[in-house]
Amino acid sequence: MTDEDDRRKKQDERRHPSEKDDTAMPRRARDSGRVRQAIRTELEEVAEAGADSQAKAGVEPGRSPKRKVISLENISLAFEEPILQDVTFAAKEGETVVVVGESGTGKSTILKLVLRLLIPDNGRVAIDGEDITHLTFDDALKVRQKMGMVFQGAALFDSMTVYENVAYPLREHTLLNEDEIEARVREKLDFVDLDPERVMDQMPSELSGGMKKRVGIARGLANNPEIMLYDEPTSGLDPLTTATITYLILKLQRELGVTSVVVSHDIRSAFRMASKIALLANKRIGFFGTPEEMTGSDDPYIREFLGGF
Amino acid sequence: MPQQEVRRYALTTLHIEHLILESFNDAAKRGVKSLQEFFTLAGKALGFIFVKPFYTADLFQQMDVIGVGSLGIVLLTGFFTGMVLALQSAVQLQALGQTALIGKLIAGSMVRELGPVLAGLMVAGRVGSGIAAQLGSMRVTEQIDALNTLGTDPIKKLVTPRVLACLIMLPLLTVINDFVGILGGSIIARFYLGLPSSMYWSSVFEQMLSGGFTLRYIPNDFVQGLTKPFVFGGIISLVACYHGLKTSGGTEGVGLATTRTVVSASILILVVDYFLTQILLALFHP
Repeated sequence: MTDEDDRRKKQDERRHPSEKDDTAMPRRARDSGRVRQAIRTELEEVAEAGADSQAKAGVEPGRSPKRKVISLENISLAFEEPILQDVTFAAKEGETVVVVGESGTGKSTILKLVLRLLIPDNGRVAIDGEDITHLTFDDALKVRQKMGMVFQGAALFDSMTVYENVAYPLREHTLLNEDEIEARVREKLDFVDLDPERVMDQMPSELSGGMKKRVGIARGLANNPEIMLYDEPTSGLDPLTTATITYLILKLQRELGVTSVVVSHDIRSAFRMASKIALLANKRIGFFGTPEEMTGSDDPYIREFLGGF
Repeated sequence: MPQQEVRRYALTTLHIEHLILESFNDAAKRGVKSLQEFFTLAGKALGFIFVKPFYTADLFQQMDVIGVGSLGIVLLTGFFTGMVLALQSAVQLQALGQTALIGKLIAGSMVRELGPVLAGLMVAGRVGSGIAAQLGSMRVTEQIDALNTLGTDPIKKLVTPRVLACLIMLPLLTVINDFVGILGGSIIARFYLGLPSSMYWSSVFEQMLSGGFTLRYIPNDFVQGLTKPFVFGGIISLVACYHGLKTSGGTEGVGLATTRTVVSASILILVVDYFLTQILLALFHP
Protein backbone atom coordinates (compact mmCIF):
# COMPACT_ATOMS: atom_id res chain seq x y z
CA MET A 1 0.00 0.00 0.00
CA THR A 2 1.40 3.44 -0.95
CA ASP A 3 1.60 6.41 1.46
CA GLU A 4 -1.07 8.18 -0.60
CA ASP A 5 -3.50 5.26 -0.20
CA ASP A 6 -2.82 5.07 3.52
CA ARG A 7 -3.46 8.79 4.00
CA ARG A 8 -6.73 8.61 2.05
CA LYS A 9 -7.93 5.66 4.14
CA LYS A 10 -7.19 7.45 7.44
CA GLN A 11 -8.97 10.59 6.21
CA ASP A 12 -12.00 8.53 5.26
CA GLU A 13 -12.10 6.86 8.68
CA ARG A 14 -12.06 10.24 10.46
CA ARG A 15 -14.99 11.50 8.41
CA HIS A 16 -18.51 11.36 9.99
CA PRO A 17 -20.68 8.62 8.47
CA SER A 18 -23.14 11.17 7.11
CA GLU A 19 -20.33 12.88 5.19
CA LYS A 20 -19.29 9.69 3.48
CA ASP A 21 -20.08 9.21 -0.17
CA ASP A 22 -23.50 7.50 -0.24
CA THR A 23 -22.87 6.01 -3.63
CA ALA A 24 -19.89 4.12 -2.24
CA MET A 25 -22.28 1.99 -0.13
CA PRO A 26 -23.39 -1.29 -1.63
CA ARG A 27 -26.86 -1.00 -3.12
CA ARG A 28 -28.30 -3.69 -0.83
CA ALA A 29 -27.10 -1.77 2.25
CA ARG A 30 -28.65 1.47 1.01
CA ASP A 31 -31.96 -0.33 0.30
CA SER A 32 -32.07 -1.98 3.69
CA GLY A 33 -31.29 1.39 5.30
CA ARG A 34 -34.30 2.92 3.59
CA VAL A 35 -36.50 -0.05 4.56
CA ARG A 36 -35.28 0.18 8.16
CA GLN A 37 -36.16 3.86 8.28
CA ALA A 38 -39.59 3.21 6.76
CA ILE A 39 -40.29 0.48 9.33
CA ARG A 40 -39.10 2.68 12.18
CA THR A 41 -41.48 5.47 11.08
CA GLU A 42 -44.32 3.01 10.65
CA LEU A 43 -43.66 1.48 14.09
CA GLU A 44 -43.72 4.92 15.72
CA GLU A 45 -47.00 5.79 13.97
CA VAL A 46 -48.54 2.47 14.94
CA ALA A 47 -47.39 2.83 18.54
CA GLU A 48 -48.82 6.35 18.74
CA ALA A 49 -52.12 5.22 17.19
CA GLY A 50 -52.27 2.27 19.59
CA ALA A 51 -51.54 4.44 22.60
CA ASP A 52 -54.21 6.94 21.54
CA SER A 53 -56.86 4.28 21.04
CA GLN A 54 -56.01 2.61 24.35
CA ALA A 55 -56.09 5.91 26.19
CA LYS A 56 -59.43 6.75 24.60
CA ALA A 57 -60.82 3.33 25.53
CA GLY A 58 -59.78 3.89 29.12
CA VAL A 59 -61.33 7.34 29.61
CA GLU A 60 -64.44 7.35 27.44
CA PRO A 61 -67.38 7.81 29.82
CA GLY A 62 -70.17 5.23 29.61
CA ARG A 63 -68.09 2.81 27.56
CA SER A 64 -68.38 -0.76 28.86
CA PRO A 65 -65.13 -2.23 30.17
CA LYS A 66 -63.39 -4.62 27.77
CA ARG A 67 -64.25 -8.28 28.27
CA LYS A 68 -61.60 -10.80 29.18
CA VAL A 69 -60.90 -12.93 26.10
CA ILE A 70 -58.18 -15.11 27.62
CA SER A 71 -57.85 -15.64 31.33
CA LEU A 72 -55.62 -17.88 33.37
CA GLU A 73 -56.67 -18.24 36.99
CA ASN A 74 -54.42 -19.74 39.66
CA ILE A 75 -52.78 -22.14 37.22
CA SER A 76 -50.38 -24.72 38.60
CA LEU A 77 -48.63 -27.33 36.49
CA ALA A 78 -45.89 -29.84 37.22
CA PHE A 79 -44.25 -32.63 35.22
CA GLU A 80 -41.24 -34.12 36.96
CA GLU A 81 -41.00 -30.87 38.94
CA PRO A 82 -43.19 -27.76 39.23
CA ILE A 83 -43.31 -25.62 36.06
CA LEU A 84 -45.96 -23.04 36.94
CA GLN A 85 -47.39 -22.11 40.32
CA ASP A 86 -50.48 -19.99 40.93
CA VAL A 87 -50.19 -18.16 37.59
CA THR A 88 -52.94 -15.61 37.04
CA PHE A 89 -53.35 -13.02 34.29
CA ALA A 90 -55.81 -12.06 31.61
CA ALA A 91 -55.82 -10.58 28.13
CA LYS A 92 -58.74 -8.29 27.41
CA GLU A 93 -60.29 -7.76 23.99
CA GLY A 94 -57.82 -6.21 21.55
CA GLU A 95 -54.93 -6.32 23.99
CA THR A 96 -51.49 -7.75 23.34
CA VAL A 97 -50.07 -9.41 26.42
CA VAL A 98 -46.38 -10.21 26.15
CA VAL A 99 -45.08 -12.92 28.49
CA VAL A 100 -41.40 -12.36 29.19
CA GLY A 101 -38.97 -14.21 31.39
CA GLU A 102 -35.72 -16.09 31.41
CA SER A 103 -35.28 -19.15 29.20
CA GLY A 104 -36.78 -22.35 30.59
CA THR A 105 -39.24 -20.64 32.92
CA GLY A 106 -42.31 -22.15 31.25
CA LYS A 107 -43.31 -19.28 28.96
CA SER A 108 -44.23 -21.53 26.03
CA THR A 109 -46.13 -23.80 28.42
CA ILE A 110 -48.57 -20.94 28.96
CA LEU A 111 -49.42 -20.96 25.24
CA LYS A 112 -49.94 -24.74 25.32
CA LEU A 113 -52.33 -24.26 28.25
CA VAL A 114 -54.29 -21.59 26.34
CA LEU A 115 -54.47 -23.95 23.35
CA ARG A 116 -55.44 -26.77 25.72
CA LEU A 117 -52.60 -28.89 24.44
CA LEU A 118 -51.83 -29.21 28.16
CA ILE A 119 -54.24 -29.42 31.08
CA PRO A 120 -53.26 -27.66 34.32
CA ASP A 121 -53.05 -29.59 37.58
CA ASN A 122 -54.92 -26.78 39.33
CA GLY A 123 -56.72 -23.63 38.26
CA ARG A 124 -58.71 -22.82 35.15
CA VAL A 125 -58.09 -21.43 31.67
CA ALA A 126 -61.04 -19.58 30.15
CA ILE A 127 -61.53 -18.42 26.56
CA ASP A 128 -64.33 -15.88 26.10
CA GLY A 129 -65.46 -16.78 29.62
CA GLU A 130 -65.77 -20.49 28.80
CA ASP A 131 -63.69 -22.82 30.96
CA ILE A 132 -61.70 -24.97 28.53
CA THR A 133 -59.85 -26.96 31.19
CA HIS A 134 -62.17 -29.95 31.16
CA LEU A 135 -63.26 -29.95 27.53
CA THR A 136 -63.15 -33.20 25.56
CA PHE A 137 -60.51 -33.51 22.84
CA ASP A 138 -63.09 -32.84 20.09
CA ASP A 139 -64.50 -29.77 21.85
CA ALA A 140 -60.95 -28.49 22.38
CA LEU A 141 -60.36 -28.76 18.61
CA LYS A 142 -63.41 -26.50 18.08
CA VAL A 143 -62.16 -23.91 20.60
CA ARG A 144 -58.77 -23.90 18.86
CA GLN A 145 -60.48 -22.75 15.67
CA LYS A 146 -60.93 -19.36 17.38
CA MET A 147 -57.15 -19.09 17.69
CA GLY A 148 -54.22 -18.67 15.37
CA MET A 149 -50.79 -19.76 16.50
CA VAL A 150 -47.38 -18.73 15.24
CA PHE A 151 -44.67 -21.17 16.29
CA GLN A 152 -41.07 -20.39 17.11
CA GLY A 153 -39.82 -22.26 14.03
CA ALA A 154 -42.99 -21.36 12.04
CA ALA A 155 -43.92 -25.09 11.92
CA LEU A 156 -45.02 -24.88 8.29
CA PHE A 157 -46.01 -28.23 6.81
CA ASP A 158 -42.90 -28.99 4.78
CA SER A 159 -44.69 -31.34 2.37
CA MET A 160 -47.01 -28.52 1.26
CA THR A 161 -46.45 -25.30 -0.71
CA VAL A 162 -46.92 -21.89 0.89
CA TYR A 163 -50.36 -21.70 -0.74
CA GLU A 164 -51.40 -25.09 0.65
CA ASN A 165 -50.11 -24.14 4.09
CA VAL A 166 -52.15 -20.93 4.27
CA ALA A 167 -55.17 -22.63 2.69
CA TYR A 168 -55.01 -25.57 5.12
CA PRO A 169 -57.28 -24.19 7.89
CA LEU A 170 -59.74 -22.96 5.26
CA ARG A 171 -60.00 -26.39 3.64
CA GLU A 172 -60.36 -28.02 7.06
CA HIS A 173 -62.98 -25.81 8.64
CA THR A 174 -64.81 -23.81 6.01
CA LEU A 175 -66.98 -24.57 3.00
CA LEU A 176 -65.26 -21.98 0.81
CA ASN A 177 -64.80 -22.90 -2.84
CA GLU A 178 -61.37 -22.91 -4.47
CA ASP A 179 -61.69 -19.34 -5.84
CA GLU A 180 -62.65 -18.00 -2.43
CA ILE A 181 -59.80 -19.90 -0.79
CA GLU A 182 -57.33 -18.47 -3.28
CA ALA A 183 -58.64 -14.95 -2.71
CA ARG A 184 -58.29 -15.39 1.07
CA VAL A 185 -54.77 -16.81 0.75
CA ARG A 186 -53.70 -13.86 -1.42
CA GLU A 187 -55.29 -11.40 1.02
CA LYS A 188 -53.43 -12.91 4.00
CA LEU A 189 -50.10 -13.09 2.18
CA ASP A 190 -50.57 -9.46 1.17
CA PHE A 191 -51.32 -8.57 4.77
CA VAL A 192 -47.99 -9.98 5.90
CA ASP A 193 -46.21 -8.08 3.10
CA LEU A 194 -45.40 -11.10 0.97
CA ASP A 195 -45.90 -11.09 -2.78
CA PRO A 196 -48.44 -13.89 -3.40
CA GLU A 197 -47.30 -14.38 -7.00
CA ARG A 198 -43.74 -14.96 -5.87
CA VAL A 199 -44.21 -17.16 -2.81
CA MET A 200 -47.43 -19.11 -3.31
CA ASP A 201 -45.84 -21.99 -5.15
CA GLN A 202 -42.65 -22.11 -3.09
CA MET A 203 -41.95 -24.87 -0.60
CA PRO A 204 -41.17 -23.85 3.02
CA SER A 205 -37.59 -25.07 2.60
CA GLU A 206 -37.06 -22.37 -0.06
CA LEU A 207 -38.00 -19.52 2.30
CA SER A 208 -35.83 -17.45 4.64
CA GLY A 209 -36.47 -17.48 8.40
CA GLY A 210 -38.36 -14.17 8.31
CA MET A 211 -40.49 -15.25 5.34
CA LYS A 212 -41.37 -18.51 7.12
CA LYS A 213 -42.51 -16.53 10.16
CA ARG A 214 -44.64 -14.31 7.96
CA VAL A 215 -46.22 -17.29 6.19
CA GLY A 216 -46.83 -18.74 9.68
CA ILE A 217 -48.66 -15.53 10.64
CA ALA A 218 -50.65 -15.65 7.37
CA ARG A 219 -51.64 -19.27 8.11
CA GLY A 220 -52.62 -18.36 11.67
CA LEU A 221 -54.74 -15.50 10.31
CA ALA A 222 -56.40 -17.45 7.50
CA ASN A 223 -59.50 -18.31 9.53
CA ASN A 224 -59.83 -14.72 10.83
CA PRO A 225 -59.30 -15.80 14.45
CA GLU A 226 -60.15 -13.50 17.34
CA ILE A 227 -57.05 -14.66 19.24
CA MET A 228 -53.45 -14.86 18.04
CA LEU A 229 -50.71 -16.62 19.97
CA TYR A 230 -47.03 -16.17 19.18
CA ASP A 231 -44.17 -18.29 20.49
CA GLU A 232 -40.91 -16.33 20.29
CA PRO A 233 -41.90 -14.59 17.03
CA THR A 234 -38.63 -12.68 16.75
CA SER A 235 -36.11 -15.23 17.97
CA GLY A 236 -33.26 -16.02 15.60
CA LEU A 237 -34.11 -13.12 13.28
CA ASP A 238 -31.93 -10.19 12.25
CA PRO A 239 -32.89 -6.73 13.61
CA LEU A 240 -34.55 -5.67 10.36
CA THR A 241 -36.77 -8.78 10.16
CA THR A 242 -37.47 -8.51 13.90
CA ALA A 243 -38.79 -5.00 13.31
CA THR A 244 -40.94 -6.25 10.42
CA ILE A 245 -42.51 -9.01 12.53
CA THR A 246 -43.08 -6.60 15.43
CA TYR A 247 -44.73 -4.22 13.00
CA LEU A 248 -46.99 -7.01 11.74
CA ILE A 249 -48.12 -7.92 15.26
CA LEU A 250 -48.92 -4.27 15.95
CA LYS A 251 -50.71 -4.00 12.62
CA LEU A 252 -52.88 -7.00 13.57
CA GLN A 253 -53.79 -5.38 16.86
CA ARG A 254 -54.54 -2.02 15.26
CA GLU A 255 -56.34 -3.08 12.09
CA LEU A 256 -58.10 -6.27 13.15
CA GLY A 257 -58.43 -5.78 16.91
CA VAL A 258 -57.03 -9.25 17.52
CA THR A 259 -56.32 -10.25 21.12
CA SER A 260 -52.80 -11.63 21.34
CA VAL A 261 -50.51 -13.40 23.73
CA VAL A 262 -46.86 -13.20 22.74
CA VAL A 263 -44.14 -15.22 24.41
CA SER A 264 -40.80 -13.54 23.96
CA HIS A 265 -37.44 -12.95 25.50
CA ASP A 266 -36.82 -9.97 23.23
CA ILE A 267 -37.54 -7.16 25.69
CA ARG A 268 -37.13 -4.40 23.09
CA SER A 269 -39.83 -5.88 20.80
CA ALA A 270 -41.96 -6.69 23.85
CA PHE A 271 -42.07 -3.03 24.86
CA ARG A 272 -42.99 -2.00 21.35
CA MET A 273 -45.92 -4.35 20.94
CA ALA A 274 -47.27 -4.92 24.47
CA SER A 275 -50.45 -3.51 25.96
CA LYS A 276 -49.50 -5.44 29.09
CA ILE A 277 -46.38 -7.33 30.08
CA ALA A 278 -46.39 -10.47 32.25
CA LEU A 279 -43.02 -11.30 33.75
CA LEU A 280 -42.64 -14.96 34.59
CA ALA A 281 -40.10 -15.51 37.34
CA ASN A 282 -39.59 -18.40 39.70
CA LYS A 283 -42.64 -20.26 38.28
CA ARG A 284 -44.95 -17.33 39.12
CA ILE A 285 -46.07 -14.09 37.52
CA GLY A 286 -43.69 -11.64 39.15
CA PHE A 287 -45.17 -8.62 37.43
CA PHE A 288 -48.25 -7.90 35.33
CA GLY A 289 -48.88 -4.41 34.04
CA THR A 290 -48.23 -1.91 31.30
CA PRO A 291 -44.72 -1.37 29.91
CA GLU A 292 -44.67 2.07 31.59
CA GLU A 293 -45.49 0.51 34.97
CA MET A 294 -42.74 -2.01 34.41
CA THR A 295 -40.08 0.57 33.64
CA GLY A 296 -41.22 2.56 36.68
CA SER A 297 -40.94 -0.43 38.99
CA ASP A 298 -38.41 -0.42 41.83
CA ASP A 299 -38.40 -4.22 42.14
CA PRO A 300 -34.73 -5.29 42.04
CA TYR A 301 -35.47 -8.40 39.90
CA ILE A 302 -37.39 -6.33 37.33
CA ARG A 303 -34.61 -3.75 37.26
CA GLU A 304 -32.06 -6.50 36.75
CA PHE A 305 -34.20 -8.20 34.10
CA LEU A 306 -34.64 -4.98 32.16
CA GLY A 307 -30.90 -4.37 32.40
CA GLY A 308 -29.89 -1.39 30.40
CA PHE A 309 -33.20 -1.12 28.54
CA MET B 1 -19.64 -59.95 63.72
CA PRO B 2 -20.50 -57.07 66.04
CA GLN B 3 -24.23 -56.38 66.30
CA GLN B 4 -23.89 -52.88 64.86
CA GLU B 5 -22.22 -54.19 61.69
CA VAL B 6 -24.88 -56.91 61.30
CA ARG B 7 -27.53 -54.23 61.51
CA ARG B 8 -25.73 -52.04 58.97
CA TYR B 9 -25.33 -55.01 56.61
CA ALA B 10 -29.03 -55.88 56.93
CA LEU B 11 -30.04 -52.28 56.25
CA THR B 12 -27.77 -52.06 53.18
CA THR B 13 -29.19 -55.32 51.81
CA LEU B 14 -32.71 -54.05 52.42
CA HIS B 15 -31.84 -50.79 50.72
CA ILE B 16 -30.45 -52.57 47.63
CA GLU B 17 -33.51 -54.84 47.47
CA HIS B 18 -35.73 -51.79 47.74
CA LEU B 19 -33.86 -50.07 44.88
CA ILE B 20 -34.09 -53.15 42.65
CA LEU B 21 -37.80 -53.54 43.33
CA GLU B 22 -38.35 -49.85 42.68
CA SER B 23 -36.56 -49.97 39.33
CA PHE B 24 -38.60 -53.07 38.34
CA ASN B 25 -41.72 -51.26 39.43
CA ASP B 26 -40.82 -48.20 37.33
CA ALA B 27 -39.98 -50.33 34.28
CA ALA B 28 -43.26 -52.25 34.61
CA LYS B 29 -45.23 -49.01 34.92
CA ARG B 30 -43.51 -47.57 31.85
CA GLY B 31 -44.20 -50.78 29.90
CA VAL B 32 -47.89 -50.81 30.83
CA LYS B 33 -48.18 -47.10 30.02
CA SER B 34 -46.55 -47.62 26.60
CA LEU B 35 -48.88 -50.55 25.86
CA GLN B 36 -51.87 -48.49 26.89
CA GLU B 37 -50.75 -45.60 24.65
CA PHE B 38 -50.09 -47.97 21.74
CA PHE B 39 -53.51 -49.61 21.94
CA THR B 40 -55.23 -46.26 22.40
CA LEU B 41 -53.50 -45.03 19.24
CA ALA B 42 -54.43 -48.24 17.40
CA GLY B 43 -58.07 -48.01 18.52
CA LYS B 44 -58.36 -44.37 17.49
CA ALA B 45 -56.59 -44.85 14.15
CA LEU B 46 -58.78 -47.81 13.19
CA GLY B 47 -61.94 -46.15 14.51
CA PHE B 48 -61.27 -43.01 12.41
CA ILE B 49 -61.40 -45.12 9.21
CA PHE B 50 -65.19 -44.85 9.45
CA VAL B 51 -65.44 -41.23 10.64
CA LYS B 52 -65.63 -38.13 8.43
CA PRO B 53 -63.70 -36.20 7.14
CA PHE B 54 -61.98 -38.86 5.02
CA TYR B 55 -58.52 -37.76 3.94
CA THR B 56 -58.71 -39.63 0.64
CA ALA B 57 -55.95 -37.62 -1.05
CA ASP B 58 -53.61 -38.50 1.83
CA LEU B 59 -54.71 -42.14 1.61
CA PHE B 60 -53.92 -42.38 -2.12
CA GLN B 61 -50.61 -40.59 -1.61
CA GLN B 62 -49.64 -43.06 1.11
CA MET B 63 -50.79 -46.02 -1.01
CA ASP B 64 -48.48 -44.74 -3.72
CA VAL B 65 -45.55 -44.24 -1.34
CA ILE B 66 -46.04 -47.53 0.49
CA GLY B 67 -47.23 -49.76 -2.34
CA VAL B 68 -45.75 -48.48 -5.58
CA GLY B 69 -42.62 -47.25 -3.80
CA SER B 70 -41.93 -50.68 -2.30
CA LEU B 71 -42.55 -52.60 -5.52
CA GLY B 72 -38.91 -52.73 -6.62
CA ILE B 73 -37.53 -54.06 -3.36
CA VAL B 74 -40.35 -56.63 -3.07
CA LEU B 75 -39.85 -57.84 -6.67
CA LEU B 76 -36.13 -58.30 -6.11
CA THR B 77 -36.38 -60.10 -2.77
CA GLY B 78 -39.24 -62.32 -3.95
CA PHE B 79 -37.52 -63.34 -7.16
CA PHE B 80 -34.16 -64.20 -5.59
CA THR B 81 -35.74 -65.91 -2.57
CA GLY B 82 -37.79 -68.10 -4.92
CA MET B 83 -34.65 -68.97 -6.89
CA VAL B 84 -32.49 -69.75 -3.87
CA LEU B 85 -35.30 -71.78 -2.27
CA ALA B 86 -35.64 -73.81 -5.47
CA LEU B 87 -31.89 -74.29 -5.68
CA GLN B 88 -31.60 -75.59 -2.10
CA SER B 89 -34.71 -77.79 -2.47
CA ALA B 90 -33.51 -79.17 -5.81
CA VAL B 91 -30.42 -80.65 -4.18
CA GLN B 92 -32.52 -82.38 -1.50
CA LEU B 93 -35.22 -83.52 -3.92
CA GLN B 94 -32.67 -84.89 -6.41
CA ALA B 95 -31.24 -87.07 -3.64
CA LEU B 96 -34.76 -88.41 -2.98
CA GLY B 97 -35.65 -88.67 -6.67
CA GLN B 98 -38.68 -86.39 -6.16
CA THR B 99 -37.79 -83.39 -8.34
CA ALA B 100 -41.34 -83.24 -9.74
CA LEU B 101 -42.53 -82.00 -6.34
CA ILE B 102 -40.47 -78.80 -6.51
CA GLY B 103 -43.44 -76.68 -7.72
CA LYS B 104 -45.57 -77.80 -4.75
CA LEU B 105 -42.75 -77.05 -2.32
CA ILE B 106 -41.98 -73.60 -3.68
CA ALA B 107 -45.65 -72.59 -3.94
CA GLY B 108 -46.46 -73.80 -0.42
CA SER B 109 -43.46 -72.09 1.15
CA MET B 110 -43.84 -68.83 -0.73
CA VAL B 111 -47.60 -68.36 -0.40
CA ARG B 112 -48.01 -69.50 3.19
CA GLU B 113 -44.82 -68.29 4.78
CA LEU B 114 -41.98 -66.65 2.92
CA GLY B 115 -44.02 -64.24 0.80
CA PRO B 116 -45.87 -62.57 3.69
CA VAL B 117 -42.88 -62.54 6.08
CA LEU B 118 -40.37 -61.27 3.51
CA ALA B 119 -42.72 -58.58 2.20
CA GLY B 120 -43.47 -57.62 5.81
CA LEU B 121 -39.81 -57.34 6.77
CA MET B 122 -38.94 -55.39 3.62
CA VAL B 123 -41.80 -52.95 4.12
CA ALA B 124 -40.94 -52.64 7.84
CA GLY B 125 -37.43 -51.59 6.85
CA ARG B 126 -38.37 -49.28 4.04
CA VAL B 127 -41.79 -47.88 4.92
CA GLY B 128 -41.76 -48.24 8.71
CA SER B 129 -38.54 -46.28 9.04
CA GLY B 130 -39.84 -43.66 6.60
CA ILE B 131 -43.10 -43.16 8.51
CA ALA B 132 -41.30 -42.95 11.88
CA ALA B 133 -38.74 -40.46 10.52
CA GLN B 134 -41.40 -38.29 8.88
CA LEU B 135 -43.73 -38.17 11.88
CA GLY B 136 -40.74 -37.80 14.22
CA SER B 137 -39.49 -34.79 12.24
CA MET B 138 -42.98 -33.32 12.25
CA ARG B 139 -43.07 -33.75 16.03
CA VAL B 140 -39.72 -32.08 16.70
CA THR B 141 -40.43 -29.19 14.30
CA GLU B 142 -43.80 -28.61 16.03
CA GLN B 143 -45.81 -29.52 12.91
CA ILE B 144 -47.88 -31.99 14.96
CA ASP B 145 -48.66 -29.21 17.46
CA ALA B 146 -49.49 -26.97 14.49
CA LEU B 147 -52.04 -29.54 13.26
CA ASN B 148 -53.59 -29.63 16.72
CA THR B 149 -53.81 -25.86 16.92
CA LEU B 150 -55.36 -25.72 13.45
CA GLY B 151 -58.15 -27.91 14.80
CA THR B 152 -57.06 -31.16 13.12
CA ASP B 153 -56.63 -34.43 14.96
CA PRO B 154 -53.11 -35.61 13.99
CA ILE B 155 -54.13 -39.25 14.42
CA LYS B 156 -56.94 -38.85 11.91
CA LYS B 157 -54.87 -36.82 9.45
CA LEU B 158 -51.55 -38.66 9.69
CA VAL B 159 -52.00 -42.09 11.27
CA THR B 160 -55.28 -43.36 9.79
CA PRO B 161 -54.27 -42.90 6.11
CA ARG B 162 -50.92 -44.61 6.74
CA VAL B 163 -52.49 -47.54 8.58
CA LEU B 164 -55.20 -47.98 5.95
CA ALA B 165 -52.67 -47.73 3.13
CA CYS B 166 -50.50 -50.41 4.77
CA LEU B 167 -53.54 -52.67 5.36
CA ILE B 168 -54.44 -52.43 1.67
CA MET B 169 -51.02 -52.43 0.06
CA LEU B 170 -49.13 -55.08 2.03
CA PRO B 171 -51.44 -57.95 0.93
CA LEU B 172 -51.12 -56.73 -2.69
CA LEU B 173 -47.34 -56.57 -2.40
CA THR B 174 -47.37 -60.07 -0.91
CA VAL B 175 -49.34 -61.44 -3.88
CA ILE B 176 -46.71 -59.94 -6.22
CA ASN B 177 -43.92 -61.25 -4.01
CA ASP B 178 -45.46 -64.75 -4.07
CA PHE B 179 -45.81 -64.70 -7.83
CA VAL B 180 -42.26 -63.56 -8.62
CA GLY B 181 -40.93 -66.04 -6.03
CA ILE B 182 -42.71 -68.92 -7.77
CA LEU B 183 -41.51 -67.52 -11.11
CA GLY B 184 -37.92 -67.51 -9.82
CA GLY B 185 -38.39 -71.14 -8.76
CA SER B 186 -39.64 -72.04 -12.24
CA ILE B 187 -36.39 -70.75 -13.78
CA ILE B 188 -34.32 -73.03 -11.54
CA ALA B 189 -36.70 -75.95 -12.15
CA ARG B 190 -36.43 -75.46 -15.92
CA PHE B 191 -32.71 -74.75 -16.27
CA TYR B 192 -31.15 -76.51 -13.24
CA LEU B 193 -33.41 -79.54 -12.92
CA GLY B 194 -34.51 -79.64 -16.56
CA LEU B 195 -38.16 -79.94 -15.47
CA PRO B 196 -40.71 -78.94 -18.16
CA SER B 197 -42.45 -75.67 -17.27
CA SER B 198 -45.90 -77.18 -17.67
CA MET B 199 -45.08 -79.81 -15.06
CA TYR B 200 -43.75 -77.16 -12.65
CA TRP B 201 -46.83 -74.91 -12.98
CA SER B 202 -49.32 -77.77 -12.72
CA SER B 203 -47.55 -78.84 -9.55
CA VAL B 204 -47.89 -75.24 -8.26
CA PHE B 205 -51.64 -75.17 -8.96
CA GLU B 206 -52.08 -78.61 -7.43
CA GLN B 207 -50.57 -77.28 -4.21
CA MET B 208 -52.83 -74.21 -4.27
CA LEU B 209 -55.97 -76.30 -4.64
CA SER B 210 -55.00 -79.16 -2.34
CA GLY B 211 -55.51 -77.30 0.93
CA GLY B 212 -59.29 -76.96 0.63
CA PHE B 213 -61.43 -73.86 0.11
CA THR B 214 -62.98 -71.08 2.15
CA LEU B 215 -66.45 -69.94 1.01
CA ARG B 216 -66.32 -72.71 -1.64
CA TYR B 217 -64.04 -70.82 -4.08
CA ILE B 218 -61.13 -69.24 -2.18
CA PRO B 219 -58.19 -71.64 -1.66
CA ASN B 220 -57.24 -71.90 2.01
CA ASP B 221 -53.60 -71.24 1.15
CA PHE B 222 -54.64 -67.83 -0.22
CA VAL B 223 -56.60 -67.04 2.93
CA GLN B 224 -53.59 -67.92 5.07
CA GLY B 225 -51.22 -66.08 2.77
CA LEU B 226 -53.31 -62.90 2.80
CA THR B 227 -54.31 -62.85 6.48
CA LYS B 228 -50.69 -62.58 7.53
CA PRO B 229 -49.72 -59.50 5.46
CA PHE B 230 -52.93 -57.81 6.54
CA VAL B 231 -51.90 -58.23 10.20
CA PHE B 232 -48.27 -57.33 9.43
CA GLY B 233 -49.43 -54.16 7.63
CA GLY B 234 -51.24 -53.08 10.77
CA ILE B 235 -48.22 -53.88 12.96
CA ILE B 236 -45.75 -51.96 10.77
CA SER B 237 -47.85 -48.83 10.37
CA LEU B 238 -49.01 -48.63 13.98
CA VAL B 239 -45.56 -49.28 15.44
CA ALA B 240 -44.03 -46.68 13.10
CA CYS B 241 -46.70 -44.06 13.84
CA TYR B 242 -46.47 -44.74 17.59
CA HIS B 243 -42.70 -44.26 17.70
CA GLY B 244 -42.88 -41.30 15.30
CA LEU B 245 -45.47 -39.43 17.33
CA LYS B 246 -43.64 -40.19 20.59
CA THR B 247 -40.38 -38.70 19.29
CA SER B 248 -38.59 -36.23 21.53
CA GLY B 249 -35.07 -34.86 21.73
CA GLY B 250 -34.52 -33.32 18.31
CA THR B 251 -32.81 -35.05 15.40
CA GLU B 252 -31.24 -37.64 17.71
CA GLY B 253 -34.74 -38.58 18.82
CA VAL B 254 -35.81 -39.00 15.18
CA GLY B 255 -32.95 -41.46 14.60
CA LEU B 256 -33.86 -43.35 17.75
CA ALA B 257 -37.53 -43.56 16.75
CA THR B 258 -36.55 -44.91 13.32
CA THR B 259 -34.29 -47.59 14.79
CA ARG B 260 -36.87 -48.60 17.39
CA THR B 261 -39.52 -48.89 14.69
CA VAL B 262 -37.51 -51.19 12.44
CA VAL B 263 -36.33 -53.38 15.33
CA SER B 264 -39.66 -53.71 17.12
CA ALA B 265 -41.73 -54.10 13.92
CA SER B 266 -39.37 -56.82 12.59
CA ILE B 267 -39.40 -58.74 15.88
CA LEU B 268 -43.17 -58.40 16.19
CA ILE B 269 -43.64 -59.69 12.62
CA LEU B 270 -41.60 -62.82 13.36
CA VAL B 271 -43.24 -63.47 16.75
CA VAL B 272 -46.78 -62.76 15.56
CA ASP B 273 -46.12 -64.91 12.47
CA TYR B 274 -45.52 -67.95 14.68
CA PHE B 275 -48.73 -67.54 16.68
CA LEU B 276 -50.74 -66.62 13.59
CA THR B 277 -49.47 -69.78 11.85
CA GLN B 278 -50.56 -71.87 14.84
CA ILE B 279 -54.04 -70.33 14.71
CA LEU B 280 -54.37 -70.63 10.92
CA LEU B 281 -53.17 -74.23 10.89
CA ALA B 282 -55.65 -75.08 13.63
CA LEU B 283 -58.40 -73.42 11.60
CA PHE B 284 -57.59 -74.79 8.16
CA HIS B 285 -55.79 -78.07 8.92
CA PRO B 286 -57.43 -79.33 12.11
